[in-house]
Amino acid sequence: MQNNESVNLTAVTSTAEKKSAKKLEKEKIGFIISTVTVIAFLILWELASRNSWIPPLFISSPTAIAKAAFLMVQDPQFWHHMKISGYEFGVGFLLAVAIGVPMGVFSGWNYYFYSLVNPFISGLYVTPKVSLLPVILIAFGIGTASKIAIVFLMAFFPIVMSAQKAMKTLDQNLIKAARVFTATQLQIFKTVALPSTVPFLLNGIRLGIGQGLIGVVVGEMYAATAGIGFQLTSYGQNLQTDRMFVGVIVITVTGILLTGILGWIEKRFSSWIPEHD
Amino acid sequence: MVATSRNVKLSSRNLDVVYRNLKTNTEVVALHNINLDIIEGEFICIVGPSGCGKTTFLNTVAGLIKPSRGQILLDNQEITGPGADRSMVFQTPSLFPWRTVIKNVLYGLEIQKRLTDETKKMAYQYIEMVGLKGFENYYPHELSGGMQQRVNLARALTVNPSLLLLDEPFSALDAQTREFMQAELLRIWSETQKTSIFITHQIDEAVFLADRVFVFGARPGRVVEVIDVDIPRPRNLNIKRNPKFLELVDRIWSIIEQESTKQGFANKKLKEN
Repeated sequence: MQNNESVNLTAVTSTAEKKSAKKLEKEKIGFIISTVTVIAFLILWELASRNSWIPPLFISSPTAIAKAAFLMVQDPQFWHHMKISGYEFGVGFLLAVAIGVPMGVFSGWNYYFYSLVNPFISGLYVTPKVSLLPVILIAFGIGTASKIAIVFLMAFFPIVMSAQKAMKTLDQNLIKAARVFTATQLQIFKTVALPSTVPFLLNGIRLGIGQGLIGVVVGEMYAATAGIGFQLTSYGQNLQTDRMFVGVIVITVTGILLTGILGWIEKRFSSWIPEHD
Repeated sequence: MVATSRNVKLSSRNLDVVYRNLKTNTEVVALHNINLDIIEGEFICIVGPSGCGKTTFLNTVAGLIKPSRGQILLDNQEITGPGADRSMVFQTPSLFPWRTVIKNVLYGLEIQKRLTDETKKMAYQYIEMVGLKGFENYYPHELSGGMQQRVNLARALTVNPSLLLLDEPFSALDAQTREFMQAELLRIWSETQKTSIFITHQIDEAVFLADRVFVFGARPGRVVEVIDVDIPRPRNLNIKRNPKFLELVDRIWSIIEQESTKQGFANKKLKEN
Protein backbone atom coordinates (compact mmCIF):
# COMPACT_ATOMS: atom_id res chain seq x y z
CA MET A 1 0.00 0.00 0.00
CA GLN A 2 2.80 2.31 1.02
CA ASN A 3 4.55 1.55 -2.30
CA ASN A 4 1.48 2.01 -4.37
CA GLU A 5 0.88 5.46 -2.96
CA SER A 6 4.47 6.60 -3.49
CA VAL A 7 4.21 5.56 -7.15
CA ASN A 8 1.14 7.76 -7.36
CA LEU A 9 3.03 10.66 -5.83
CA THR A 10 5.79 10.61 -8.44
CA ALA A 11 3.18 10.40 -11.17
CA VAL A 12 1.59 13.60 -9.85
CA THR A 13 4.88 15.51 -10.01
CA SER A 14 5.83 14.43 -13.51
CA THR A 15 2.46 15.36 -15.03
CA ALA A 16 2.82 18.76 -13.36
CA GLU A 17 6.20 19.19 -15.06
CA LYS A 18 4.80 18.20 -18.44
CA LYS A 19 1.99 20.69 -18.03
CA SER A 20 4.38 23.54 -17.25
CA ALA A 21 6.52 22.76 -20.33
CA LYS A 22 3.43 22.93 -22.50
CA LYS A 23 2.42 26.18 -20.86
CA LEU A 24 5.87 27.67 -21.46
CA GLU A 25 5.56 26.89 -25.16
CA LYS A 26 2.14 28.54 -25.22
CA GLU A 27 3.46 31.64 -23.47
CA LYS A 28 6.30 31.92 -26.02
CA ILE A 29 3.86 31.89 -28.94
CA GLY A 30 1.65 34.41 -27.15
CA PHE A 31 4.61 36.75 -26.67
CA ILE A 32 5.50 36.56 -30.37
CA ILE A 33 1.92 37.33 -31.39
CA SER A 34 1.78 40.37 -29.09
CA THR A 35 5.12 41.75 -30.29
CA VAL A 36 4.24 41.38 -33.97
CA THR A 37 0.86 43.07 -33.45
CA VAL A 38 2.36 46.04 -31.64
CA ILE A 39 5.06 46.55 -34.30
CA ALA A 40 2.46 46.27 -37.07
CA PHE A 41 0.33 48.86 -35.29
CA LEU A 42 3.26 51.29 -34.99
CA ILE A 43 4.11 50.91 -38.68
CA LEU A 44 0.50 51.48 -39.68
CA TRP A 45 0.37 54.55 -37.45
CA GLU A 46 3.55 55.95 -39.03
CA LEU A 47 2.21 55.31 -42.54
CA ALA A 48 -1.16 56.85 -41.74
CA SER A 49 0.58 59.98 -40.53
CA ARG A 50 3.18 60.28 -43.34
CA ASN A 51 0.60 59.77 -46.09
CA SER A 52 -1.90 62.03 -44.30
CA TRP A 53 -4.58 59.30 -44.25
CA ILE A 54 -5.41 60.90 -40.95
CA PRO A 55 -4.22 64.50 -40.35
CA PRO A 56 -0.83 64.30 -38.55
CA LEU A 57 -1.98 67.10 -36.27
CA PHE A 58 -4.45 64.67 -34.65
CA ILE A 59 -2.31 61.61 -34.36
CA SER A 60 1.30 62.81 -34.69
CA SER A 61 3.50 59.80 -35.54
CA PRO A 62 5.68 57.31 -33.66
CA THR A 63 8.90 58.82 -35.00
CA ALA A 64 7.81 62.38 -34.18
CA ILE A 65 6.84 61.28 -30.67
CA ALA A 66 10.20 59.54 -30.22
CA LYS A 67 12.00 62.70 -31.32
CA ALA A 68 9.93 64.83 -28.96
CA ALA A 69 10.58 62.42 -26.11
CA PHE A 70 14.31 62.54 -26.79
CA LEU A 71 14.27 66.33 -26.51
CA MET A 72 11.95 66.45 -23.54
CA VAL A 73 13.93 64.09 -21.29
CA GLN A 74 16.92 66.45 -21.63
CA ASP A 75 14.84 69.33 -20.36
CA PRO A 76 15.02 69.74 -16.53
CA GLN A 77 11.54 71.29 -16.69
CA PHE A 78 10.12 67.88 -17.71
CA TRP A 79 11.64 66.20 -14.67
CA HIS A 80 10.32 68.95 -12.45
CA HIS A 81 6.77 68.18 -13.64
CA MET A 82 7.40 64.44 -13.23
CA LYS A 83 8.59 64.93 -9.70
CA ILE A 84 5.52 66.92 -8.74
CA SER A 85 3.11 64.41 -10.24
CA GLY A 86 5.03 61.53 -8.68
CA TYR A 87 4.91 63.20 -5.29
CA GLU A 88 1.16 63.86 -5.54
CA PHE A 89 0.43 60.33 -6.66
CA GLY A 90 2.80 58.71 -4.16
CA VAL A 91 1.50 60.51 -1.09
CA GLY A 92 -2.17 60.18 -2.08
CA PHE A 93 -1.82 56.51 -2.92
CA LEU A 94 0.14 55.61 0.22
CA LEU A 95 -2.47 57.39 2.32
CA ALA A 96 -5.19 55.41 0.56
CA VAL A 97 -3.40 52.14 1.37
CA ALA A 98 -2.54 53.16 4.93
CA ILE A 99 -6.11 54.14 5.76
CA GLY A 100 -8.04 51.93 3.33
CA VAL A 101 -6.55 48.58 4.30
CA PRO A 102 -7.14 48.78 8.06
CA MET A 103 -10.52 50.40 7.62
CA GLY A 104 -11.64 47.72 5.16
CA VAL A 105 -10.27 44.88 7.28
CA PHE A 106 -11.82 46.09 10.53
CA SER A 107 -15.16 47.01 9.01
CA GLY A 108 -15.30 43.55 7.41
CA TRP A 109 -14.45 41.92 10.74
CA ASN A 110 -16.60 43.92 13.15
CA TYR A 111 -20.25 44.36 12.27
CA TYR A 112 -20.75 47.49 14.39
CA PHE A 113 -17.77 49.25 12.87
CA TYR A 114 -19.13 48.18 9.49
CA SER A 115 -22.50 49.78 10.30
CA LEU A 116 -20.70 52.94 11.33
CA VAL A 117 -18.58 53.49 8.22
CA ASN A 118 -20.47 51.66 5.51
CA PRO A 119 -23.12 54.28 4.66
CA PHE A 120 -20.29 56.66 3.77
CA ILE A 121 -18.16 54.09 1.99
CA SER A 122 -20.89 52.66 -0.20
CA GLY A 123 -22.34 56.11 -0.85
CA LEU A 124 -19.05 57.64 -1.93
CA TYR A 125 -18.04 54.51 -3.81
CA VAL A 126 -20.58 55.21 -6.54
CA THR A 127 -20.02 58.97 -6.55
CA PRO A 128 -17.73 60.08 -9.41
CA LYS A 129 -14.89 61.47 -7.31
CA VAL A 130 -13.85 64.00 -9.98
CA SER A 131 -17.17 65.76 -9.42
CA LEU A 132 -15.76 66.76 -6.05
CA LEU A 133 -12.81 68.56 -7.68
CA PRO A 134 -14.28 72.07 -7.40
CA VAL A 135 -14.82 71.61 -3.69
CA ILE A 136 -11.41 70.00 -3.23
CA LEU A 137 -9.82 73.03 -4.91
CA ILE A 138 -11.65 75.41 -2.62
CA ALA A 139 -10.51 73.44 0.39
CA PHE A 140 -6.95 72.54 -0.60
CA GLY A 141 -6.01 75.20 -3.14
CA ILE A 142 -4.45 74.90 -6.56
CA GLY A 143 -1.18 73.31 -5.36
CA THR A 144 -0.17 69.72 -4.64
CA ALA A 145 -2.51 69.23 -1.66
CA SER A 146 -5.64 69.18 -3.81
CA LYS A 147 -4.06 66.56 -6.10
CA ILE A 148 -3.09 64.41 -3.15
CA ALA A 149 -6.69 64.63 -1.97
CA ILE A 150 -8.16 63.55 -5.31
CA VAL A 151 -5.64 60.69 -5.72
CA PHE A 152 -6.51 59.53 -2.22
CA LEU A 153 -10.25 59.63 -2.94
CA MET A 154 -9.87 57.76 -6.21
CA ALA A 155 -7.57 55.02 -4.86
CA PHE A 156 -9.17 54.62 -1.45
CA PHE A 157 -12.48 53.03 -2.44
CA PRO A 158 -11.32 50.05 -4.49
CA ILE A 159 -8.86 49.26 -1.68
CA VAL A 160 -11.32 49.57 1.19
CA MET A 161 -14.02 47.63 -0.67
CA SER A 162 -11.72 44.76 -1.56
CA ALA A 163 -10.46 44.44 2.01
CA GLN A 164 -14.04 44.45 3.28
CA LYS A 165 -15.12 41.84 0.77
CA ALA A 166 -12.20 39.59 1.69
CA MET A 167 -13.21 39.65 5.34
CA LYS A 168 -16.83 38.95 4.52
CA THR A 169 -16.06 35.90 2.40
CA LEU A 170 -13.75 34.09 4.80
CA ASP A 171 -13.68 30.32 4.42
CA GLN A 172 -15.85 29.06 7.28
CA ASN A 173 -14.12 25.67 7.17
CA LEU A 174 -10.81 27.33 8.06
CA ILE A 175 -12.43 29.25 10.91
CA LYS A 176 -13.91 26.02 12.21
CA ALA A 177 -10.49 24.36 12.04
CA ALA A 178 -8.94 27.25 13.95
CA ARG A 179 -11.65 27.07 16.61
CA VAL A 180 -11.20 23.33 17.11
CA PHE A 181 -7.51 23.99 17.73
CA THR A 182 -8.68 26.40 20.50
CA ALA A 183 -7.83 29.61 18.65
CA THR A 184 -9.09 32.80 20.30
CA GLN A 185 -10.85 35.49 18.28
CA LEU A 186 -7.60 37.43 18.06
CA GLN A 187 -5.71 34.34 16.90
CA ILE A 188 -8.38 33.63 14.27
CA PHE A 189 -8.04 37.21 13.10
CA LYS A 190 -4.28 36.94 12.79
CA THR A 191 -3.93 33.41 11.44
CA VAL A 192 -7.04 33.04 9.27
CA ALA A 193 -8.63 36.40 8.47
CA LEU A 194 -5.57 38.51 7.66
CA PRO A 195 -3.81 36.03 5.37
CA SER A 196 -7.10 35.36 3.56
CA THR A 197 -7.30 39.01 2.54
CA VAL A 198 -3.96 39.04 0.68
CA PRO A 199 -5.19 38.10 -2.82
CA PHE A 200 -8.21 40.42 -2.50
CA LEU A 201 -6.07 43.26 -1.20
CA LEU A 202 -3.53 42.99 -4.00
CA ASN A 203 -6.39 43.12 -6.46
CA GLY A 204 -7.86 46.19 -4.75
CA ILE A 205 -4.46 47.88 -4.75
CA ARG A 206 -4.10 47.16 -8.46
CA LEU A 207 -7.43 48.88 -9.13
CA GLY A 208 -6.34 51.67 -6.77
CA ILE A 209 -3.20 52.30 -8.85
CA GLY A 210 -5.28 52.77 -11.99
CA GLN A 211 -7.76 55.05 -10.25
CA GLY A 212 -5.03 57.06 -8.54
CA LEU A 213 -3.29 57.71 -11.86
CA ILE A 214 -6.56 58.98 -13.31
CA GLY A 215 -6.91 61.17 -10.22
CA VAL A 216 -3.52 62.84 -10.55
CA VAL A 217 -3.87 63.53 -14.29
CA VAL A 218 -7.44 64.78 -14.16
CA GLY A 219 -6.66 66.87 -11.09
CA GLU A 220 -3.71 68.54 -12.82
CA MET A 221 -5.65 69.05 -16.03
CA TYR A 222 -8.50 70.67 -14.15
CA ALA A 223 -6.47 73.25 -12.27
CA ALA A 224 -2.76 73.25 -11.55
CA THR A 225 0.50 75.08 -12.14
CA ALA A 226 2.70 72.04 -12.61
CA GLY A 227 2.68 68.28 -13.22
CA ILE A 228 2.34 65.91 -16.14
CA GLY A 229 -1.39 66.56 -16.50
CA PHE A 230 -0.83 70.30 -16.53
CA GLN A 231 1.92 69.92 -19.14
CA LEU A 232 -0.33 67.69 -21.22
CA THR A 233 -3.06 70.30 -21.32
CA SER A 234 -0.74 73.13 -22.31
CA TYR A 235 0.86 71.05 -25.12
CA GLY A 236 -2.63 70.28 -26.36
CA GLN A 237 -3.58 73.93 -26.33
CA ASN A 238 -0.42 74.73 -28.32
CA LEU A 239 -1.21 71.97 -30.84
CA GLN A 240 2.02 70.15 -29.94
CA THR A 241 0.47 66.72 -30.43
CA ASP A 242 3.81 64.88 -30.39
CA ARG A 243 4.78 66.29 -27.00
CA MET A 244 1.29 65.64 -25.68
CA PHE A 245 1.59 62.00 -26.65
CA VAL A 246 4.89 61.78 -24.76
CA GLY A 247 2.96 62.82 -21.65
CA VAL A 248 0.35 60.14 -22.28
CA ILE A 249 3.04 57.51 -22.77
CA VAL A 250 4.77 58.54 -19.55
CA ILE A 251 1.52 57.95 -17.63
CA THR A 252 0.93 54.63 -19.36
CA VAL A 253 4.46 53.41 -18.66
CA THR A 254 4.10 54.44 -15.02
CA GLY A 255 0.91 52.40 -14.76
CA ILE A 256 2.55 49.38 -16.38
CA LEU A 257 5.60 49.66 -14.09
CA LEU A 258 3.52 49.98 -10.92
CA THR A 259 1.23 47.07 -11.72
CA GLY A 260 4.32 45.09 -12.78
CA ILE A 261 5.90 45.69 -9.38
CA LEU A 262 2.64 44.64 -7.77
CA GLY A 263 2.56 41.45 -9.82
CA TRP A 264 6.09 40.70 -8.66
CA ILE A 265 5.05 41.24 -5.02
CA GLU A 266 2.03 39.03 -5.60
CA LYS A 267 4.23 36.19 -6.84
CA ARG A 268 6.69 36.56 -3.98
CA PHE A 269 4.26 36.75 -1.10
CA SER A 270 1.55 34.46 -2.24
CA SER A 271 3.08 31.52 -4.02
CA TRP A 272 0.15 29.65 -2.49
CA ILE A 273 -2.40 31.12 -4.87
CA PRO A 274 -3.07 28.44 -7.47
CA GLU A 275 -2.52 29.80 -10.97
CA HIS A 276 -5.61 30.11 -13.11
CA ASP A 277 -5.09 29.73 -16.80
CA MET B 1 -14.20 -6.92 22.54
CA VAL B 2 -12.98 -4.08 24.61
CA ALA B 3 -11.78 -4.90 28.06
CA THR B 4 -14.24 -3.34 30.47
CA SER B 5 -11.55 -2.80 33.07
CA ARG B 6 -10.32 0.21 31.08
CA ASN B 7 -11.49 3.72 31.88
CA VAL B 8 -14.44 5.47 30.38
CA LYS B 9 -12.95 8.20 28.20
CA LEU B 10 -16.04 9.99 26.98
CA SER B 11 -19.50 9.86 28.40
CA SER B 12 -22.59 11.48 26.93
CA ARG B 13 -25.43 11.86 29.41
CA ASN B 14 -29.02 12.71 28.46
CA LEU B 15 -27.66 14.90 25.72
CA ASP B 16 -30.13 17.04 23.74
CA VAL B 17 -29.15 19.51 21.06
CA VAL B 18 -31.95 21.72 19.81
CA TYR B 19 -31.53 24.21 16.98
CA ARG B 20 -33.73 27.27 17.17
CA ASN B 21 -34.67 29.14 14.05
CA LEU B 22 -35.21 32.66 15.31
CA LYS B 23 -36.89 33.83 12.11
CA THR B 24 -39.65 31.24 12.01
CA ASN B 25 -39.51 30.67 15.75
CA THR B 26 -39.37 26.91 15.27
CA GLU B 27 -37.19 24.29 16.88
CA VAL B 28 -35.45 21.31 15.37
CA VAL B 29 -34.33 18.58 17.72
CA ALA B 30 -30.99 17.52 16.23
CA LEU B 31 -30.08 15.13 19.03
CA HIS B 32 -32.39 13.59 21.59
CA ASN B 33 -31.32 11.87 24.79
CA ILE B 34 -27.94 10.57 23.69
CA ASN B 35 -26.46 8.28 26.31
CA LEU B 36 -23.23 6.53 25.50
CA ASP B 37 -19.85 5.67 26.96
CA ILE B 38 -16.64 5.38 25.01
CA ILE B 39 -13.78 3.45 26.54
CA GLU B 40 -10.18 4.64 26.48
CA GLY B 41 -8.39 3.43 23.35
CA GLU B 42 -11.58 2.49 21.53
CA PHE B 43 -12.24 3.21 17.88
CA ILE B 44 -15.89 4.17 17.54
CA CYS B 45 -17.78 4.72 14.31
CA ILE B 46 -21.10 6.50 14.08
CA VAL B 47 -23.27 5.73 11.07
CA GLY B 48 -26.75 6.82 10.17
CA PRO B 49 -28.85 8.43 7.49
CA SER B 50 -28.26 12.09 6.68
CA GLY B 51 -29.99 14.32 9.18
CA CYS B 52 -29.43 11.91 12.05
CA GLY B 53 -27.26 14.43 13.87
CA LYS B 54 -23.99 12.50 13.71
CA THR B 55 -21.98 15.57 12.72
CA THR B 56 -23.85 17.62 15.33
CA PHE B 57 -22.78 15.06 17.93
CA LEU B 58 -19.14 15.32 16.83
CA ASN B 59 -19.25 19.12 16.87
CA THR B 60 -20.70 19.00 20.37
CA VAL B 61 -17.88 16.74 21.52
CA ALA B 62 -15.44 19.17 19.88
CA GLY B 63 -17.01 21.94 21.97
CA LEU B 64 -18.25 23.93 18.99
CA ILE B 65 -21.92 23.43 19.95
CA LYS B 66 -23.32 23.78 23.44
CA PRO B 67 -25.75 21.07 24.62
CA SER B 68 -29.34 22.23 25.14
CA ARG B 69 -29.73 19.66 27.89
CA GLY B 70 -27.48 17.06 29.51
CA GLN B 71 -23.73 17.00 29.21
CA ILE B 72 -20.71 15.33 27.72
CA LEU B 73 -17.88 14.34 30.04
CA LEU B 74 -14.34 13.85 28.84
CA ASP B 75 -12.18 12.21 31.51
CA ASN B 76 -14.99 13.09 33.94
CA GLN B 77 -14.73 16.79 33.07
CA GLU B 78 -17.67 18.49 31.43
CA ILE B 79 -16.94 19.76 27.93
CA THR B 80 -17.67 23.48 27.75
CA GLY B 81 -15.68 24.45 24.65
CA PRO B 82 -12.86 23.40 22.36
CA GLY B 83 -9.79 22.06 24.13
CA ALA B 84 -6.25 20.96 23.45
CA ASP B 85 -7.24 17.43 24.51
CA ARG B 86 -9.30 17.02 21.33
CA SER B 87 -8.65 17.58 17.66
CA MET B 88 -10.54 16.93 14.48
CA VAL B 89 -9.95 15.63 11.00
CA PHE B 90 -12.40 17.56 8.84
CA GLN B 91 -14.57 16.40 5.98
CA THR B 92 -12.97 18.93 3.62
CA PRO B 93 -9.20 19.12 4.14
CA SER B 94 -9.58 22.69 5.53
CA LEU B 95 -5.86 23.33 5.11
CA PHE B 96 -4.57 26.88 5.18
CA PRO B 97 -3.67 27.53 1.54
CA TRP B 98 -0.94 30.01 2.44
CA ARG B 99 0.84 27.55 4.70
CA THR B 100 3.09 24.73 3.54
CA VAL B 101 2.43 21.17 4.68
CA ILE B 102 4.73 21.49 7.70
CA LYS B 103 3.31 24.90 8.65
CA ASN B 104 -0.21 23.48 8.43
CA VAL B 105 0.75 20.53 10.61
CA LEU B 106 2.32 22.88 13.17
CA TYR B 107 -0.78 25.12 13.27
CA GLY B 108 -2.37 23.58 16.38
CA LEU B 109 0.87 23.71 18.36
CA GLU B 110 1.38 27.30 17.32
CA ILE B 111 -2.11 28.30 18.46
CA GLN B 112 -1.72 26.40 21.73
CA LYS B 113 1.75 27.91 22.26
CA ARG B 114 3.35 24.49 22.54
CA LEU B 115 5.88 24.91 19.75
CA THR B 116 9.18 23.42 20.98
CA ASP B 117 11.98 21.48 19.31
CA GLU B 118 10.46 18.33 20.70
CA THR B 119 6.89 18.93 19.47
CA LYS B 120 8.32 20.04 16.11
CA LYS B 121 10.11 16.72 15.83
CA MET B 122 6.79 15.02 16.51
CA ALA B 123 5.21 16.97 13.66
CA TYR B 124 7.85 15.64 11.25
CA GLN B 125 7.26 12.15 12.61
CA TYR B 126 3.54 12.40 11.96
CA ILE B 127 4.15 13.69 8.45
CA GLU B 128 6.30 10.62 7.88
CA MET B 129 3.67 8.40 9.48
CA VAL B 130 0.98 9.60 7.09
CA GLY B 131 3.37 8.97 4.19
CA LEU B 132 4.19 12.53 3.20
CA LYS B 133 7.90 12.62 3.96
CA GLY B 134 9.55 14.88 1.37
CA PHE B 135 6.41 16.98 0.88
CA GLU B 136 6.92 19.20 3.94
CA ASN B 137 7.43 22.36 1.90
CA TYR B 138 4.63 21.84 -0.61
CA TYR B 139 1.56 24.04 -0.59
CA PRO B 140 -1.85 22.34 -0.30
CA HIS B 141 -2.87 23.17 -3.86
CA GLU B 142 0.13 21.20 -5.10
CA LEU B 143 -1.20 18.01 -3.47
CA SER B 144 -3.90 15.55 -4.51
CA GLY B 145 -7.11 15.20 -2.50
CA GLY B 146 -5.86 12.06 -0.77
CA MET B 147 -2.57 13.73 0.17
CA GLN B 148 -4.43 16.76 1.52
CA GLN B 149 -6.47 14.49 3.77
CA ARG B 150 -3.21 12.95 5.01
CA VAL B 151 -2.04 16.44 6.00
CA ASN B 152 -5.41 17.03 7.67
CA LEU B 153 -4.83 13.85 9.69
CA ALA B 154 -1.22 14.70 10.56
CA ARG B 155 -2.31 18.15 11.73
CA ALA B 156 -4.88 16.62 14.07
CA LEU B 157 -2.40 14.05 15.45
CA THR B 158 0.43 16.53 16.02
CA VAL B 159 -1.32 18.31 18.90
CA ASN B 160 -1.28 14.87 20.56
CA PRO B 161 -4.97 14.84 21.53
CA SER B 162 -6.34 12.23 23.88
CA LEU B 163 -9.48 12.03 21.75
CA LEU B 164 -9.41 12.14 17.96
CA LEU B 165 -12.55 13.19 16.09
CA LEU B 166 -12.93 12.31 12.42
CA ASP B 167 -15.81 13.82 10.43
CA GLU B 168 -16.30 11.75 7.26
CA PRO B 169 -12.68 12.39 6.30
CA PHE B 170 -12.69 10.10 3.28
CA SER B 171 -16.10 10.92 1.83
CA ALA B 172 -14.71 13.20 -0.89
CA LEU B 173 -12.09 10.70 -2.07
CA ASP B 174 -12.51 8.29 -4.96
CA ALA B 175 -13.36 4.69 -4.05
CA GLN B 176 -9.85 3.32 -4.48
CA THR B 177 -8.06 6.05 -2.55
CA ARG B 178 -10.68 5.72 0.17
CA GLU B 179 -9.91 2.02 0.63
CA PHE B 180 -6.18 2.74 0.86
CA MET B 181 -6.78 5.51 3.35
CA GLN B 182 -8.95 3.26 5.53
CA ALA B 183 -6.14 0.74 5.77
CA GLU B 184 -3.61 3.53 6.35
CA LEU B 185 -5.76 5.00 9.10
CA LEU B 186 -5.91 1.64 10.88
CA ARG B 187 -2.12 1.31 10.64
CA ILE B 188 -1.65 4.83 12.05
CA TRP B 189 -4.26 4.28 14.72
CA SER B 190 -2.58 1.05 15.86
CA GLU B 191 0.68 3.03 16.22
CA THR B 192 -0.91 5.83 18.26
CA GLN B 193 -3.73 3.98 20.07
CA LYS B 194 -5.81 7.12 20.40
CA THR B 195 -9.45 6.99 21.37
CA SER B 196 -11.23 7.89 18.12
CA ILE B 197 -14.73 8.79 17.01
CA PHE B 198 -15.22 8.42 13.28
CA ILE B 199 -18.34 9.67 11.50
CA THR B 200 -19.29 8.08 8.21
CA HIS B 201 -22.28 7.18 6.10
CA GLN B 202 -20.46 4.21 4.61
CA ILE B 203 -21.35 1.10 6.53
CA ASP B 204 -18.49 -1.07 5.30
CA GLU B 205 -16.04 1.67 6.26
CA ALA B 206 -17.50 1.75 9.77
CA VAL B 207 -17.32 -2.03 10.23
CA PHE B 208 -13.80 -2.16 8.84
CA LEU B 209 -12.48 0.49 11.22
CA ALA B 210 -14.47 0.26 14.43
CA ASP B 211 -14.48 -1.64 17.69
CA ARG B 212 -18.10 -0.62 18.05
CA VAL B 213 -20.51 0.96 15.60
CA PHE B 214 -23.20 3.31 16.88
CA VAL B 215 -26.17 3.42 14.55
CA PHE B 216 -28.01 6.73 14.75
CA GLY B 217 -31.58 7.34 13.66
CA ALA B 218 -33.01 10.57 12.31
CA ARG B 219 -35.66 13.03 13.47
CA PRO B 220 -34.79 13.31 16.24
CA GLY B 221 -31.17 12.14 16.11
CA ARG B 222 -30.68 9.33 18.60
CA VAL B 223 -28.78 6.11 19.17
CA VAL B 224 -30.78 3.23 17.68
CA GLU B 225 -28.36 0.41 18.22
CA VAL B 226 -24.77 -0.34 19.19
CA ILE B 227 -23.01 -3.10 17.26
CA ASP B 228 -19.86 -4.82 18.53
CA VAL B 229 -17.42 -5.59 15.74
CA ASP B 230 -15.69 -8.71 17.00
CA ILE B 231 -13.30 -9.06 14.11
CA PRO B 232 -9.75 -9.41 15.42
CA ARG B 233 -7.05 -6.85 14.72
CA PRO B 234 -4.82 -6.17 12.90
CA ARG B 235 -7.30 -6.04 10.04
CA ASN B 236 -6.45 -5.68 6.38
CA LEU B 237 -8.66 -4.98 3.39
CA ASN B 238 -9.16 -8.71 2.81
CA ILE B 239 -11.53 -8.93 5.76
CA LYS B 240 -14.07 -7.04 3.67
CA ARG B 241 -14.76 -10.40 1.97
CA ASN B 242 -15.00 -12.23 5.28
CA PRO B 243 -18.54 -13.67 5.91
CA LYS B 244 -18.59 -12.19 9.41
CA PHE B 245 -17.79 -8.76 8.02
CA LEU B 246 -20.54 -9.04 5.42
CA GLU B 247 -22.99 -10.23 8.03
CA LEU B 248 -22.30 -7.20 10.22
CA VAL B 249 -22.65 -4.84 7.26
CA ASP B 250 -25.93 -6.53 6.41
CA ARG B 251 -27.21 -6.21 9.93
CA ILE B 252 -26.45 -2.50 10.12
CA TRP B 253 -28.01 -2.02 6.71
CA SER B 254 -31.26 -3.59 7.82
CA ILE B 255 -31.35 -1.43 10.97
CA ILE B 256 -30.93 1.71 8.90
CA GLU B 257 -33.44 0.47 6.36
CA GLN B 258 -36.00 -0.17 9.09
CA GLU B 259 -35.33 3.29 10.46
CA SER B 260 -35.89 4.96 7.12
CA THR B 261 -39.09 2.98 6.50
CA LYS B 262 -40.38 4.16 9.85
CA GLN B 263 -39.26 7.61 8.86
CA GLY B 264 -41.11 7.24 5.58
CA PHE B 265 -44.31 6.37 7.44
CA ALA B 266 -43.81 9.27 9.78
CA ASN B 267 -43.36 11.63 6.85
CA LYS B 268 -46.50 10.27 5.20
CA LYS B 269 -48.47 10.78 8.38
CA LEU B 270 -47.13 14.28 8.67
CA LYS B 271 -48.31 15.04 5.16
CA GLU B 272 -51.77 13.59 5.76
CA ASN B 273 -52.25 15.70 8.82
